[in-house]
Amino acid sequence: MALARFTKPVDGTIPVQALLYADEELLSSQDAVGIYDGLQKSPEHQVGIVHVTTQRLLYIDASRKARSRSFALDLAHVSRTDHYAGLFTSSPKVTLHLSADDSSVGGGGVERSDRETGVESGFETWECEVCAFRNPPGLSPSASRICGLCGVPRSSAPTNIQPSSSTVGTTSSSLASSVSTSALPTPRNRESIACPACTFLNHPSMKKCEICDTPLPRIAPAVSASSAENGTTKSAPATRPATPGIDEGAMMIKLSFRKGGDKPFYTALKRSLKGQAWEINNPLNRLLPNANANDTGAGVRSGISGIMHAVETRAQTRDTHMSDALQDLEALMVKAKDMVRLAAELNERLTVATAATSTAAPTAASASASEPEEATFIRSSLTQLGLQMENTPVTLDMMKDERRWIEELARELAGVLQGSPGSGSGSGGGLMSHRGLIALDEVWGGWNRARGVALVPPSTLLLVVPHLPAYTDPPIKSLVLPSEMRALHTPEYEPKVFGERVVRRMRLKSTTTTEIAQREGVGIALAEEMVSLIEREGGLSRDDGRYGDSDSVGFGGGEVRWWANVFVGYIWDGQA
Amino acid sequence: MALSTHTTTTGFLLPSIHSAPPFFTQQVHAASLSTATEHWIQIILKYARHRKLFTIKVQDCEAPGNDWDEVLRNERINRKLLPSYLSYILGQMVSQKLAAYDPPKQDRSVLIYWRLPEEWAEVLHEWATSTGQLNTILTFYEITDPPVESPLSGIPVTLLRQAISILSKTNRAQIIGIAEGEGVRFFPSMGKS
Repeated sequence: MALARFTKPVDGTIPVQALLYADEELLSSQDAVGIYDGLQKSPEHQVGIVHVTTQRLLYIDASRKARSRSFALDLAHVSRTDHYAGLFTSSPKVTLHLSADDSSVGGGGVERSDRETGVESGFETWECEVCAFRNPPGLSPSASRICGLCGVPRSSAPTNIQPSSSTVGTTSSSLASSVSTSALPTPRNRESIACPACTFLNHPSMKKCEICDTPLPRIAPAVSASSAENGTTKSAPATRPATPGIDEGAMMIKLSFRKGGDKPFYTALKRSLKGQAWEINNPLNRLLPNANANDTGAGVRSGISGIMHAVETRAQTRDTHMSDALQDLEALMVKAKDMVRLAAELNERLTVATAATSTAAPTAASASASEPEEATFIRSSLTQLGLQMENTPVTLDMMKDERRWIEELARELAGVLQGSPGSGSGSGGGLMSHRGLIALDEVWGGWNRARGVALVPPSTLLLVVPHLPAYTDPPIKSLVLPSEMRALHTPEYEPKVFGERVVRRMRLKSTTTTEIAQREGVGIALAEEMVSLIEREGGLSRDDGRYGDSDSVGFGGGEVRWWANVFVGYIWDGQA
Repeated sequence: MALSTHTTTTGFLLPSIHSAPPFFTQQVHAASLSTATEHWIQIILKYARHRKLFTIKVQDCEAPGNDWDEVLRNERINRKLLPSYLSYILGQMVSQKLAAYDPPKQDRSVLIYWRLPEEWAEVLHEWATSTGQLNTILTFYEITDPPVESPLSGIPVTLLRQAISILSKTNRAQIIGIAEGEGVRFFPSMGKS
């Protein structure tokens, strides 16, 4: 009785894995299990393998009649379980108390009607009416009842195959309603809900307008009409006993574990029941009680907001994964610190060891000669690994190394600037071989372009620049211009020399910044900086060159003209 | 550049720096700026004395055709003093008490003290003594526009009033209200006569 009511036949010749839904997972299996239908042994199901999954309990008969005797039981029907450890000759048993409560089961009516019509609704593709998403087959009944993309319940399924259960009917109302005035061209004349704010015709299962989020009115007559119609088309609930208490035996199934293995199986079963995978995958069950209880919108998982929510959830998961990964990285960094410390210790020990051997054992000349080599090898390989000891105090050793490094860089930069005398690869000299003044940003760019790999950060460039005069001939020095811009210059371009030269050249006439830039071979921006530097020092005096409002345009092009400082040493020679 | 002095049509000897174009631009370098400004103040004071000019306005350098053309612009090198710089120069003059804003509470026009008010007071008293007008009541008009040309011809009433008030402090003059407005009576100074 209970078996006939709650189970569905499955083809036992098919391997279990193939029987599972796409979102179902096999948890545990046990062979040599007999089934009691109610209190009585079910003679057809005495030797078989029982599998428990996240959704179902599968019995695969071990006899040759596996095709007809195997069945599946939805765990959603299970209301309570008992475990009997067994005594003497009686085997350990697990009792499953079944319940036909529709509101918690959700899919009960559907599956029954499926079985009646002989259609396995889980194994077909269907297209969502709202978002036109083609849902794949193989999902469990609860999961396949809503669209996988937008979360809207599958209301448009052929009504003769899937009449909605009463819970579904309150919102999805899959049946035609005569009062509908919807102008939708779809053949199924459904009850769309017009938004009171924007008049958008919403899908009947929406609680809020898909466009403007305004709460939608519930159309009471339509719902009652559809549910009434549902009641007529749906045969299963009408024939069902209303309460489970009528027949004790009719509402339970026992599994008898003839060869043991009951305990792990029972644990798996409990876990599966607790997990309630069918509930999670069935948003209708979540949606509907919420719709009555509170309108906070917590249950809204359909329409645009549903899609948005799905995207959000996905982003959150990605976020979690990312932070997990980063945590790994941090752990790695912690480890790296350990390695650095190890390296430092190794370094120290090596220093001590070499000192000891060189002082204590002059006889072992060969050994002491080879050891420093090893030490340097280890040290160099440590640095190559990037294990620079940043957190340890800077030692004299490192200082020496860094200074040498900077000095080497300075030498290299000198080569870039003035052209390397040794290599002479036909490059035609360096950046500054024909120019006396060059902005530091250009130097940086040029240097890194010359290096190609292992680029030098600006901070390092600033460290290197002070060392330049020692490696350049003529010495190249740096200079901070009035706008805080930095530049490198040869001695001829020192501001004082530059200014004197500019003044000497113009002598009895004025000049402009452009002319200075052209004559000195520097960029206009740099020339402007230099000129304003000289002006600040009082080497030049400016002349805006404006005579009158009318002829200001024609004269001097509006550019400031520069004169030697006429005010220095001037003695009044006008009217006494 | 050939800097040379220049004598204007009114016989004023302009300094050679007046023919240097940068002289007409407000300099950035502080020392240059103060030097140039000093020279400008010299030129303005001397020219005002030369032409007996008492006021200078910022707009005098903007349009030609006023008393200051000869100094505020240099046609030979095609330069003129820029209004912003003139305004700065006038401000400097006021702060050095070589000029005063007239009317007060603006900075577009100043009264030039090519003689200080104290000096003007002496000049005034001397003139009154020398022309034998002590103890007689004189109207301001009789002083600023006497029938015989005097050093005080054309002196602004503001400046005259200042000079008289300085004199009255030492009891050498007295403001007297008369029917046509105001008058002044000069007294012989204590030391003399």
